[in-house]
Amino acid sequence: MKSTAMYKSEYSSSERAAPASSPSAPMVCVDGVNKWFGQDQVLRNISVEIKDGEFFSLLGPSGCGKTTLMRIIAGFEFPTEGTILIDQRSVVDVPASRRPTNMVFQHFALFPHMSIEKNIAFGLEMKRVPRSTIATKVKEALALVRLEKFSGRKIDELSGGQKQRVAIARALVNEPKVLLLDEPLGALDLQLRLQMQGELARIQRATGSTFIFVTHDQAEAMTMSDRIAVMDRGEILQVGTPRDIYERPTHRFVAEFIGHSNFFEGVVCAGASINEYCPVSYDGVELVGRGAVPLEVGTKVAVMVRYENLQLLAAPENGRLVGNVTNKIFTGPTVRTDVLLANGKTVTSEQPVSSDAVNLGVGQAVGIHWTAANAVVLNS
Amino acid sequence: MQPLSEQFELDTRAGKPAKDPSATIWRWLQYAMVALAFGFLYLPIVLLVILSFNESHSFGLPLKGFTLQWYREVLGNAAIMTSLKNSLILGCASAAISVALALTLALGFRANFPFKGLLLQTVLVPIVVPGVVGGVVLLLAFGYVGLPFGLFSTVLIAHVNWCLPFAFLTLYPRLHNFDKGIEEAARDLGASSATVFWRIILPIVRPGIIATLLFSFTLSFDEFVRTIFVIGSESTLPIRLWAIVTEQAQPFLPALGVLTMFITIFISLVGQAIAAKSATRNGSMKSQ
Repeated sequence: MKSTAMYKSEYSSSERAAPASSPSAPMVCVDGVNKWFGQDQVLRNISVEIKDGEFFSLLGPSGCGKTTLMRIIAGFEFPTEGTILIDQRSVVDVPASRRPTNMVFQHFALFPHMSIEKNIAFGLEMKRVPRSTIATKVKEALALVRLEKFSGRKIDELSGGQKQRVAIARALVNEPKVLLLDEPLGALDLQLRLQMQGELARIQRATGSTFIFVTHDQAEAMTMSDRIAVMDRGEILQVGTPRDIYERPTHRFVAEFIGHSNFFEGVVCAGASINEYCPVSYDGVELVGRGAVPLEVGTKVAVMVRYENLQLLAAPENGRLVGNVTNKIFTGPTVRTDVLLANGKTVTSEQPVSSDAVNLGVGQAVGIHWTAANAVVLNS
Repeated sequence: MQPLSEQFELDTRAGKPAKDPSATIWRWLQYAMVALAFGFLYLPIVLLVILSFNESHSFGLPLKGFTLQWYREVLGNAAIMTSLKNSLILGCASAAISVALALTLALGFRANFPFKGLLLQTVLVPIVVPGVVGGVVLLLAFGYVGLPFGLFSTVLIAHVNWCLPFAFLTLYPRLHNFDKGIEEAARDLGASSATVFWRIILPIVRPGIIATLLFSFTLSFDEFVRTIFVIGSESTLPIRLWAIVTEQAQPFLPALGVLTMFITIFISLVGQAIAAKSATRNGSMKSQ
């Protein structure tokens, strides 16, 4: 965890950097949080800083602790150890009802006995905002989520996507410093989910609030986030921009969880520091990749090459490794080719249909090549 | 008509395999059993209704003619009307107190605490205690405390004691299955615990509460065994009915029985209708 924080600066690309209004102070600061449920430790030494105006995702498989972390930020759970700062104020002792956060729940959790407007107005009524102001703000919130035409409807007359919009409006109308979204698109079908992804990104740009988004869907996290924290078994493994995490994973778990990769398991031939080229002995051949972590001679590692970075050459002698094509799948925009190596390992290459790979035939001997800059050496 | 029935015959033969005679017999046997069960359940009630309109002055068969005299006598009988009034007031009071207590209890049981399952069962034990035993226990207890007999002392306590477990039994699932997310959403939006209760939980479970009120009312309205132990000199409608039966078999008894039954059935039906409505509402909440 600590090491992760150290590496991330090495790779951080500024392409999708958040439009931070005050770059100095983070909006949310989670510091050394541990959480136990009885005998189970569900969060392990979590420390992370989330910038003002950032779209930040907590990504991980179910049971990795991402929802618990979000519920701790919201005030529904309490950390066993550690502190939470929101806008530089500790909120550990502040109940959920008085935190400057609002949440969009996985199953919407709308009030079934109230109209859309009453649902949205609830938070403002709790704050004793004057009635006329509430009416205006509710109207604005309805416009923000494009539900103006549905005003006055009952909750159970709405579709899943519309309910989701009401849930978002109900949270955002309070102008929270941080909006927490707990797998808000999980209950929607694929088409609607893609549409709502775009909507959420638009709403986030329009309001400029900080969004913390919990999801197990890597594609969702990649397309929407400024930065992503990848979690597994209660730990944050890596924090970075989608590009950092995709191109420079620091853990094998991260590499496997996001995208599709080949892993060549070998031993480090010569030590290398982060981001330096590191020679790895694989089955008698020397492979090269960039070190994701500092590597010492003799360490067992895996050289990671993404499917799309693995090139197949019609002239086998030009490749780093040699194999025979066993399978070819046309996916539409790409062709996916499986190649069996002499040592029995199967590797996969995914290339655009416009490339030469499309001409390779099953059974053909091919050379396997990649650019060393596109290979990452990870602890295996 | 003829061609139609022929057509029908033809269709059934075309659509189904050859008829199995034993299956037909079996089906008729099932119909007969259902009819028998219904007769067993409702014949006494039908008989009671018929007798209540019978002109005979001796209580019972044979039938002599139609009259509304017995209903007039029941409604004109001051003692019966006083008992009815007592029962109605007692029913309302018992229902209100039982539901308030049951609601508090059900809210308490939403939290997790040690021996929760055991305590839950304990709340329900009074339901299976035989009525006579329950009556004796109450009598002893009131005697020990020195509480004077009376409608709004001993009888009310006995009725609440009887209704409370049932009220809890019907309310608990509604609160237990209440979507915690909805409550958390309200808290997240700034509601205090009291506001969550008054503005979120209570309105959503209101139909269940009303149904439980009516159910508790009918329980109290019908209660006899426990009541007779602790009633003292006053009287509820079931106690009055019992007294009339034992003291002087009056010809208006069937009419009194029908009227009593009508009140109970009517309130039960209203309660069930409300409960069914709230059940579908809960269902739609879940499907979100």
